[in-house]
Amino acid sequence: MKKSLRLALAGNANVGKSVLFNSLTGGSQTIGNWPGKTVEKAEGVLKFRGRKIDVIDLPGIYSLSAYSVEESITRDYIAKEKPDAVVNVVDACALERNLFLTLQLIELGAPIIIAVNQADLAERKGLELDLKKLSKKLGVPVVRTIATNGTGVKELVERAVETAERKRAAKKIMYGKEVEKRISELEKALAGFKLPYGTRFSAIKLLEGDEGIARLVNNEKVLARAAKLSREIEKLHGEPAPIVVSSERYAVASRIASECQTTTKPKKTSVGEAIDSIALNKYFGYPLLALVMLAIFFTIFALGGQVSAYLAWLVGLAKPIFASCFGEGILFQLIWGGAIEGFTAGLTVALPYLLPFFVILGLLEDTGYLARIAFLMDGVMHRMGLHGKAFIPLILGYGCAVPACIGCRVLEKFRDRFVTAVLSTLVPCAARTVIILGLVGAYLGVEWALALYAFNLLVIFVLGRLARVVLPGETTGLIMEMPSYKVPSLAAIFRKTWLRLKEFVYVAFPLIITGSIVIKAFEVLGFLAPISSLLSPITVGWLGLPAVVGITLVLGVLRKELALLMLAVLLGTQNFGSVLTPIQMIVFTLVTMFYIPCIATISALVKEFGWKKAACVTLFEVVFALLLGGLAYRLLPLFGV
Amino acid sequence: MKKESPSVEEYLEALYRKKEGGEKATTKEIARELNISQPSVTQMFKKLARAGFLDYESYRGASLTKKGEQRGKSVLKKHRLIEKFLLLLGVSKNHVHEEACRLEHAVSDEVEKRMRRALFSGKAALAGKIKKITDLKAGAKGKIVFIDGGKNASQRLADLGMTPGTIVKMESKSSFGGPVRLCVRSCCIAVGRGLAEKIFVEAA
Repeated sequence: MKKSLRLALAGNANVGKSVLFNSLTGGSQTIGNWPGKTVEKAEGVLKFRGRKIDVIDLPGIYSLSAYSVEESITRDYIAKEKPDAVVNVVDACALERNLFLTLQLIELGAPIIIAVNQADLAERKGLELDLKKLSKKLGVPVVRTIATNGTGVKELVERAVETAERKRAAKKIMYGKEVEKRISELEKALAGFKLPYGTRFSAIKLLEGDEGIARLVNNEKVLARAAKLSREIEKLHGEPAPIVVSSERYAVASRIASECQTTTKPKKTSVGEAIDSIALNKYFGYPLLALVMLAIFFTIFALGGQVSAYLAWLVGLAKPIFASCFGEGILFQLIWGGAIEGFTAGLTVALPYLLPFFVILGLLEDTGYLARIAFLMDGVMHRMGLHGKAFIPLILGYGCAVPACIGCRVLEKFRDRFVTAVLSTLVPCAARTVIILGLVGAYLGVEWALALYAFNLLVIFVLGRLARVVLPGETTGLIMEMPSYKVPSLAAIFRKTWLRLKEFVYVAFPLIITGSIVIKAFEVLGFLAPISSLLSPITVGWLGLPAVVGITLVLGVLRKELALLMLAVLLGTQNFGSVLTPIQMIVFTLVTMFYIPCIATISALVKEFGWKKAACVTLFEVVFALLLGGLAYRLLPLFGV
Repeated sequence: MKKESPSVEEYLEALYRKKEGGEKATTKEIARELNISQPSVTQMFKKLARAGFLDYESYRGASLTKKGEQRGKSVLKKHRLIEKFLLLLGVSKNHVHEEACRLEHAVSDEVEKRMRRALFSGKAALAGKIKKITDLKAGAKGKIVFIDGGKNASQRLADLGMTPGTIVKMESKSSFGGPVRLCVRSCCIAVGRGLAEKIFVEAA
């Protein structure tokens, strides 16, 4: 067996890198996280001519500065892990912009091979690329690929293996005279230093004011020298040094791109542009979005609901069979009521909704419509202290918080993901809607129900803005590439869906089942009454509710609808109007609206953000809900309720 | 605001620049920066410390107090504003920095306010030549003159191809004060309204 090799895929986002990765690694993919970071890491294996090739898909990036986690991950991986070859996936339709990164990868000194991907789209646009010329100018091998149908992939792997073994050096890209002069000076100053990135790359980055490399160098004299040289560049060009370097790099990229491509066909409006003229239209875009969201919502929850009910029925059939095996004693109750019902909860609450959700999410991502949604909604979301993409999880939260939490993955920054997830757990999910409509709506009227929904929105709004202060995120505002529309590969979507579902099941199910067993144990062992009295200072004293509410709130952790059902059972009647005052109804609804998300949601939070954060969120929501409830109890009489 | 003597302002600006660039502010550094002797710098540091602008300990280096930071930042802002104004007037890029250095200590806050308004209002005759990219009609093109954003934002925009001198097309705007779509180097980028308003272009 020949020696195994390591290949890294690097490139901009939206260039078909993942599609290429999929066609290389197929079913052998594993998706995890980069150690200590929240960026997804995808690895896989490829067997080629008797060799094992490990392929790693680096995050999509536009540059190699130290500004974003994704960029740091990529440059650190290439510089420190030293993969045998780096496949730079480049979009044939946007050569100039892509070469900006290519030039930096070359500066980093990695053995590179370029895959000019989406060549079919370029041809349709009338772009003719001279790849031989490109290869000559850059000094690296270039392969034409169409990852969606596998064109050029075999050749790519062949040439990549060649590159890994040959280790040819790429051509040195020269900047303008004044910048080059200072790069050389700084290179000399860096001569004795052991830097993983190479001297030239480090020198250029230092001139750009790169903090990561400055920290590594950690030498006052050299840093002062770099600062002085940067300022000289600034004085000469009238722009800060990093901008000067970027401009010159783009000048090189632009020159190379224009020399290697020609536009043959006259530029016609593409299909994508035609779609966008409606999808992003000031007047038509929003109705279209509303339609799409409605369709999504309906598909996930109506379809999911049907599957959910069917599954529940199936499990229900098995109950008597189970009972006949184990008898009706405690063991039966624990296993059935706890474990099996917990399993059922996971099965019927989470999966029927998650499956269509992941498929739809995959479709939104791969077609490019997700970016359009973010574009249309960013204005409104921004006022809530959120990103445009946060719109989707938030809306999904009105159905179920589980897909909403997981859906927060569409947001790139961890902070955004976390805040959006928390807010989407506060949005009234279907189960909470049952309580709002079944209690307040039925006994106090529609106006009260609507008022509660409005109040909920207000709370979300305020908390979102508060989060902006407490957890400051990026203050630069939206900068997002609008990818061109693409026909999605269903195979890729299903593969992604399967991987994502698997992950969820492994983490969530154990949690849900354990939680159910514990709560069922409480019930069976007769702990509920004592718990109820234990909680009475809160439930009765602070919230002014009947003591039995304590149990319903605890059971509500399993499934929110249970709270109302249990309340009817414990109060002895379904006619809530006869046992609860209006204030009590409102307080109860408020508390259930905001307190602990159900166990399935908690496990989604654990999965996405870890135990500590999930625990914090849970604690926060319990306290917050109780606070609101207690305040309502005391303030509502003042308003004559 | 009471106008300080030019040398105090120069110090504060230099110190703030260092802080912004993440560099240490030692006597040696500042002496090199302002082209004076180290003892003079030490003297001035002590004076600045007394005035509450600086925390200074011998051999430990100096760090700006909040007051000093505020002042340094405002002088730097003024410097950058003047540079942009000079660009508008057609002064060559190679000279704006030096000129601004000379002018910044002579321009009063009142004049600075008016210059800022003239530059950014889009209504003044002077600003007619250069406008915010958000003032372009959908489908119009402009050539970037400068970006009035912070280091981070400018760099991210530059990474995506929006460097000075580049032609950008205003593709469309969205409602609710939302983002705009800009086309640059054959790619479409959505930029938040607040940030887009900091991109200044001349008609292309």
